[in-house]
Amino acid sequence: MDDDQSIVEVVSQILVAEGHEVVTAGNGAEALTLVDGEQLVLLDMRMPVLDGWGFARQFRAAGKRAPIIVMTAAENARRWAEEIGADGYLAKPFEIDALIAAVERHARGPR
Amino acid sequence: MTALELVSLLTQAIYVAIFLVVSASLLREPTRSRLNMTLFFGAITFAIAQSRLLAALGVGPVELVSDIAGVLVLAMPYFLLRLVSDFAHVPTVAKRAAEAGLVVAAATLIATQGTLAPAAVVALVAYFALVAAYCAIAFVRAARRSTGVTRRRMEAVAAGTLLLGAAIVVAGLRPLLPSGLAGVPSGLTQVLALASAVAYVAGFAPPPIIRRAWQEPELRAFLRRAASLPRLPDTPAIVRALEEGAGSTLGARAAIGLYEPSRNALLFQDPHGVLPNEVGPSRFLAWRVFETQRAEYYADATRAHPDLAGAYRGHSVASLLIAPISAGAQRLGALEAYTDHQPVFSEDDLELVRLLADQAAVILESRALIDGAARVRAHEEAARLKEDFISAAAHDLKTPLTTLVAQAQFLERRAQSDPSAPADISGLRRIVQEARRLSSLVVELLDASRIEQGRLVGEREPVDLVELAREVARRDGYRTHRVKVFADAPVVGSYDPRRIEQVLENLVENAVKYSPESSEVRIGVAQRNGQAFVDVSDEGIGIPPEDLARVFDRFHRGSNVDDRRFAGMGLGLFICRGIVEQHGGRMWVESRVGTGSTFHVELPAEPRS
Repeated sequence: MDDDQSIVEVVSQILVAEGHEVVTAGNGAEALTLVDGEQLVLLDMRMPVLDGWGFARQFRAAGKRAPIIVMTAAENARRWAEEIGADGYLAKPFEIDALIAAVERHARGPR
Repeated sequence: MTALELVSLLTQAIYVAIFLVVSASLLREPTRSRLNMTLFFGAITFAIAQSRLLAALGVGPVELVSDIAGVLVLAMPYFLLRLVSDFAHVPTVAKRAAEAGLVVAAATLIATQGTLAPAAVVALVAYFALVAAYCAIAFVRAARRSTGVTRRRMEAVAAGTLLLGAAIVVAGLRPLLPSGLAGVPSGLTQVLALASAVAYVAGFAPPPIIRRAWQEPELRAFLRRAASLPRLPDTPAIVRALEEGAGSTLGARAAIGLYEPSRNALLFQDPHGVLPNEVGPSRFLAWRVFETQRAEYYADATRAHPDLAGAYRGHSVASLLIAPISAGAQRLGALEAYTDHQPVFSEDDLELVRLLADQAAVILESRALIDGAARVRAHEEAARLKEDFISAAAHDLKTPLTTLVAQAQFLERRAQSDPSAPADISGLRRIVQEARRLSSLVVELLDASRIEQGRLVGEREPVDLVELAREVARRDGYRTHRVKVFADAPVVGSYDPRRIEQVLENLVENAVKYSPESSEVRIGVAQRNGQAFVDVSDEGIGIPPEDLARVFDRFHRGSNVDDRRFAGMGLGLFICRGIVEQHGGRMWVESRVGTGSTFHVELPAEPRS
């Protein structure tokens, strides 16, 4: 999920081409209502309505275990990832190889 | 030795001691008042010395010597009158009368061989008592005009003079009383004389402990005020309060000159308009004191600084007390107190003015520390804002960059793996779109940083705001809404047309962006009271009250704004306000959530022809 529509479109285009199934959302609240049984979450931090921190808290509180990868343009990407107990992070702008590798590493495999 | 003899000896010892103290101060620094004090106590000391000396030698009274002593004692109130005339106005008639009386009295005394006739005694005593009483009253009056130590000292001198007069009256009238009562006045004379001697000690040579006790109430009052002074809004206010406090403590008018290193001068804000505002290296008394760092008393300002004699006289400045204000090795300025009369006891005032100057230094120093701390805080705050600005800008630039990099690499990969595949038009379009977005963000950032340097507005020319608004309203991008201009007549002003157009564009863009499709956006242009008003209203989502105050801040975006739909950096309104303000106008907003917003722009307009 990302509040920037262009990023959402490009990232999902790339991951779909890699054979993943992708569900997109513009903020944390929307994402919480949309998905179930996901294997990996790509999470932007600064979003309206429900931001990355809020999403991670509610996501874990709901008992979900799927790995989370933080995507952020902020300089403290790594600290933010640690703050929410994420499994990895991608500092924007990222190379698509890095994106694909991170997804492959953490996802349990394409469905 | 009888008790009476002891009292007499003590009295004489005190008078002689005061004589020694005042003559020492005369030798140290001769002034007219010190000379008169020395003469006053010299007269009585001579009388005491001659009688003691002759008694010690076992010689009877010598006619000539006792005549001189008698004349000198008779002259005592006259010397006191001269002292009075040093610091207060004494009518010439009174002075001449006292002189004539003294001449007649001296002649009477010298002409008489042996015992004086009772009538002559009464006349001499009356003369002494009259002049003494006149002086005592003059001292009481002067005391009322002064404060602190000076006041107490003058009161003591007045008391001593009255007691001395009374002692002389009692002693002089003794021979006229029936012989049975002669013992009473003798004792009374001695007691009165002792009391006058004690009063004179307090007046003319007060020991430090008494001096300090008398100084205390004024200093205490000053210090009480002083404690709160460093918290006054600014240094000029502190200086004014210090001047007032020092003035009332000293019973004079006071002014403070602060040293300004950039001009190498003392800057005064003298409310009485007596002192020059700026005193640089010169013969000015304040500068002299500032340079030597030694407090000075100038009994006669016109004599100490002849160039300014006219000014001093014009403002009735008779004497000046100046003390340096310094904190450690740092020279801060000078405290100057001036009065329209000469203080008799300048040394006390000098000490007091030094104390006040030291207090002023402490207060100004603590103020400087407070200012310094505030400067450091402001500096840190500015650095933090700059840091925030840069990191926010970087964040916003990275967002389109992310899409650009990812999309371009995706296209590259596709082209490599399948060179014959048709071009991905939507992917290419996205690249163009994000590149444009990036470029407009860069322009926004540049504008925002130019605002800070005040270099945003370029050359101005006459612009009709109505025409400009119509042009903006016709733009293709707003087809989704009904953008209408309401105006009665052209509104012309001298503006940078490109920048004012940018403001209108930005406001209309915002209105379109944040209101439902096909709703109305109204641009009102009008002129009232020589000012141009442009209002842009929409029927959009509105701005929550908690955001209203901050809509014009850098990087601020409404909390109810969906960033996904409304891209932007949050710099637009910040830039708009900067443009308007640099044109000498102002900008504000009214809004209700769910009803819509109206942005108001006020600019100076050209008068209607």
